[in-house]
Amino acid sequence: MRVLIVEDEKRLSDNIAGALRDGAGFAVDCAADGEVGSYLASGRFYDAVILDLMLPKLSGFAVLKKMRAEGDLTPVMILTAQGETHTVIELLNAGADDYLSKPFDLGELIARTKALIRRGKGAAHPKLAVADLEVNTLEQTVHRAGRLVDLSPMEYRILEYLIHRPRVTVSKRELLEHLYDYNWEHHSNVIEAHVSNLRKKLDAASEQPSIATLRGRGYRLIVDRDTPE
Amino acid sequence: MIRDAGGGYASSPGSANVLSGRQGRLKKSSITRRLIGTVLLVEIAAAICVSGAVLAFERRAHFRTFDIMLRGRADSILGAVQDAGDPGDNVMVDKTELNLPPDDVYEVRDPSGRIVGRSPNWDGPPDALILPHEDGILSLRLGGKPYRAIRLHGVRVVDPGDKGGGVPRPVTVLYGAPTINVWRAVNAAAEFYAAVNVLLLLITGTVMAWLLSRSLEPLRVLAAEASGVSVNSWSFHPPESALALKELEPLAVALESVMQRLERSFMQQRRFVGDAAHELKTGVAVVKSSLQLLAMKPRTPEEYQAGLERCEADCARMEEMVYEMLTLARIDAAERPAATLVPSDIAGCIRQVADQFSTMASLRQVNIVVLAAEALHVLIRAQECQLLVSNLVLNAIQHSYAQSQVTVSAVSEGDEVVLKVEDRGEGISAAVLPHVFERFFRGDASRDRSTGGTGLGLAICKAIVDQAGGSIEVQSNNDVGTIVTVRLPLVDPA
Repeated sequence: MRVLIVEDEKRLSDNIAGALRDGAGFAVDCAADGEVGSYLASGRFYDAVILDLMLPKLSGFAVLKKMRAEGDLTPVMILTAQGETHTVIELLNAGADDYLSKPFDLGELIARTKALIRRGKGAAHPKLAVADLEVNTLEQTVHRAGRLVDLSPMEYRILEYLIHRPRVTVSKRELLEHLYDYNWEHHSNVIEAHVSNLRKKLDAASEQPSIATLRGRGYRLIVDRDTPE
Repeated sequence: MIRDAGGGYASSPGSANVLSGRQGRLKKSSITRRLIGTVLLVEIAAAICVSGAVLAFERRAHFRTFDIMLRGRADSILGAVQDAGDPGDNVMVDKTELNLPPDDVYEVRDPSGRIVGRSPNWDGPPDALILPHEDGILSLRLGGKPYRAIRLHGVRVVDPGDKGGGVPRPVTVLYGAPTINVWRAVNAAAEFYAAVNVLLLLITGTVMAWLLSRSLEPLRVLAAEASGVSVNSWSFHPPESALALKELEPLAVALESVMQRLERSFMQQRRFVGDAAHELKTGVAVVKSSLQLLAMKPRTPEEYQAGLERCEADCARMEEMVYEMLTLARIDAAERPAATLVPSDIAGCIRQVADQFSTMASLRQVNIVVLAAEALHVLIRAQECQLLVSNLVLNAIQHSYAQSQVTVSAVSEGDEVVLKVEDRGEGISAAVLPHVFERFFRGDASRDRSTGGTGLGLAICKAIVDQAGGSIEVQSNNDVGTIVTVRLPLVDPA
């Protein structure tokens, strides 16, 4: 999962980014003003946007309205500090999905961001299960047929992204865009290596394959075990 | 009166209530009432004068007619004087051809004073009245009634057909008639004029009340518009009707500009409070999130050490921000330069600040040049003078290129002290320049946040300079440098 933080207070965005990377295993990009934030958000690589309201150049409210006007459905979490010109009601009505008042609890911010991403992808519970595959996004643990599978952070992130979209073919490019932040070198064969390792680890505990490779199109979790591809 | 006349303020019952409540305590005067009163008074005075003049004229005209009538009647009496045909060669008044009103009186005498004829209803005036006098009009009182009489000396030629042209017989006629009817006519005229005047007064009063209420309508509209202004709704557009009135236009325009100024300063204040809340909460959020991030997972002692140092730096920034906000609030709340204020020497201030920043400047390879020899006193507290100079110098050092020079100068120009802080550096872009004095404004987020600016430094400078009755301006060229010029009134050292 990849999250965009638009916040002009560098120390605060560093802290949030650190917490999201360490605590949730997300890829995080930071923008220091509304214009950069709006530009980054328009790429649609993000699974959630954390938006401060009082920003230089372009206000958070304007960034939000621009995103929604362009048809961007990415969940948006607003950071407010009461006393701003826009009320919470106005913000929610303009298309914000959730808000937190400063000073907030970092744990709560992570939990709410996770919930927003989950909801945005159609899941209600932090435990996701597809066939005999089970992913607990809170503990970041994976079970295959009841047995714990030990994954590297990157492998876990790929599986987490795939399990949020169980019937969809996910391209390598999409995985790259949603799992790495801007500071990462983009090489699609990195993804191939990680997926290969992930498949090996998952299938070691079962006789059925877990991830299908669709040549030239991407990857897909195998949901229906009776008719493997 | 205004409210009675138009039943106004219907659109804002709240204000009408307040108004009537105030009316109870205070006897209010009304322009309408005063105007109508004045006009009616003037009109009454004019009516009295005109009526008096007209009455005098009427009276004169009537009496002139009356006198002509008297003369005519006296003449006809004279014509009725005939030879009496008696041995004494006397004359008499032949009453048969006379047709006179029954109330009139007359008497005819010959020069010897003998009564030639007399009306039956009169026993004659005293002799003194009739004989020796010239012709003329005189007033009498007969039987308690006023009479006006004419005295006519005439010569009646008896038997003009005789040889020698007849005998001339001089006689004196005194003819009187009661003036009661004249007075009655004059009084009738007076009554008519009085009635017309009263009617005129009534019409004038009504028309004036109506006209005034109509022409005061724009005032009511203006009042209704003004009463709609509140803290939450500052929109005030003077109604066209008020702007079209020469007398009301200055008031409407003044009201509009006052509202605009009020709104601006109110919005500024509100924005400052909002910005301050945002900055403070963000500051707290930084400290809190730093600590929570540190506690999220077990870390090595080195990581804890580094994290705690960051937290301390965050706290120091918060502290600085709170200090600057309080400084700004204190300067804002302070009185205009008070007489009790001890003037500070700005040149000394500059040398002190240059000393203070010399280490920092040499670390950044910036050379500070001070051009301030003579002591120049300004009416600013020493602490604030220091703050003003150090904020400007710190800005200059932070935005200077390495190996460059920051020049701080103070000279007197007439009755002013001109303080200049000049740097060679990245400068300020034209888009940012107009906003540099705004509170919490940062030219560039990434740059100023990282240098630890709170966005209040220049706002504080402006507040200090404004408080002292001076001016501050910034000239800047991108990639060339910035010159900040402060002008302050020069004072004598206490």
